Amino acid sequence: MNKKILIVFLLVTLPAFAADSQWVLKQSTLTYHVSHPLHESEGVSHAARGKGVCHDGQCDFLIAVAVKSFDSGDSNRDLHMVQVTRGAEFPIVTVRTRLPESAASSATINADLEIQFAGQTAQYKKVPFKVETQGGETHITGTIPATLTDFKIDPPSLLTMPVKNEIPVRVDMIWRSQ
Amino acid sequence: MLRNAFGNRPGAIPFGLAICLLLQLVPSLIAQTAGMGVLTGRIVDSSGNPVANATVTVTSVDNGQVRSATTGTDGSYRFDDLPLGSYRMKLEAAGFQTLEIPPATVDGTKPSVVDEKLQASAPTTTKPGLEQQDNLPNAPSSSTAPSLSDLGLTPEQTQGNAREQALLDKRTHMLKIHQRMGLITTIPLIATVILGPGAGGKSEGTVTRDLHVALGALTGDLYGITAYYAIRAPRIPGTKKRGPIKFHEAMAWIHGPGMIATPILGIMAFDQKNKGEKVHGAASAHGPVAIVTAGAFGAALLSVSVKF
Repeated sequence: MNKKILIVFLLVTLPAFAADSQWVLKQSTLTYHVSHPLHESEGVSHAARGKGVCHDGQCDFLIAVAVKSFDSGDSNRDLHMVQVTRGAEFPIVTVRTRLPESAASSATINADLEIQFAGQTAQYKKVPFKVETQGGETHITGTIPATLTDFKIDPPSLLTMPVKNEIPVRVDMIWRSQ
Repeated sequence: MLRNAFGNRPGAIPFGLAICLLLQLVPSLIAQTAGMGVLTGRIVDSSGNPVANATVTVTSVDNGQVRSATTGTDGSYRFDDLPLGSYRMKLEAAGFQTLEIPPATVDGTKPSVVDEKLQASAPTTTKPGLEQQDNLPNAPSSSTAPSLSDLGLTPEQTQGNAREQALLDKRTHMLKIHQRMGLITTIPLIATVILGPGAGGKSEGTVTRDLHVALGALTGDLYGITAYYAIRAPRIPGTKKRGPIKFHEAMAWIHGPGMIATPILGIMAFDQKNKGEKVHGAASAHGPVAIVTAGAFGAALLSVSVKF
């Protein structure tokens, strides 16, 4: 009798452990910051899509966002941004990372990111993100220390003065496990 | 003839040939000395057609250093100055399966050539034998990593548009000239306005007046060039204007007509003044119109330069 119960238990629980789980990006705000001697500007996108697939305790994440979806409140600047980043030729920015499944329960994670943008690929090691899990949703915030030279982008200039090389990208995402 | 080219002395031909051989070896010697090499190739689809805008990523097996390049319209790619060693390669293109291939060696003696064929869309694939080599901490596993299609993105959304990029490039190029010409125009514009009171009013001298006219004419010419580059810059379909550019363009509706009216009124005032008359009638509006025009021009310039 006990054997039967054990077999039934194993049959029920083992597939649950072996099965892949998934994460879906529910909501996101990505903000790039550009500094120019005359003024600072930010472009915001809420259009990112993301998915994470977990297998054997490791989760592979892919986040993609259209370059054109970033809005700085100035259509002229946005068009210029798309031009200098070759956003028509390479319309999607992708971010790939692999994290342990247990990362969701940590207060902070250090993620190795592989970012494809403007036809170039750059890797950022151990980028810190703050993690808050509440009610089945995981809130992740952090800043990616991107620079223009990482993606071989010529610094755009205004009144012959170029912008700074640093273009930090603030990340604010809410993920839901499925 | 050959002897002339290499000298007439006995034994000159072998010496000349040696020089030629040495010259031929120089590039590879330099490459070897510098420890750099070239990796190049061509990416085609299953029908043999070139795949443009494919991303070729090479990762050094030795130190994990990553470089990427994009294929041109003929499907070719090229990495110059690669440190010698073995490189894993990943080929990605919208609408095609991502392909990861075993390491290629860059030895520096001659360009390493890797030509590949991409298959139509499906999630990431891996050639046999690569799993063991793929030990980057953040390298997504090929069996589980989500793809762009998993995110609901269609090939139309992920495919680049070279024509639109060319249009954007042309637009930026023209607007850069517009911006620079606008700045240059500001100099004679300010000078003309400053000289204005001296050119008219109670002054009887003609030097200041002539200088005012000359600077005004220069301002008008430069303004015309500035305006040309703004008007002729390509419009990008589907773009709704937002932000300071709206104010910038609204100002153009003031300084544009003003730049036409000001010289016309100026000529009238100039004629009246040369006749020894006091400036009167419509010509007396020359000064105020010029001030409004210059003010609108300055406001247009500041609106896109400084964040208020």
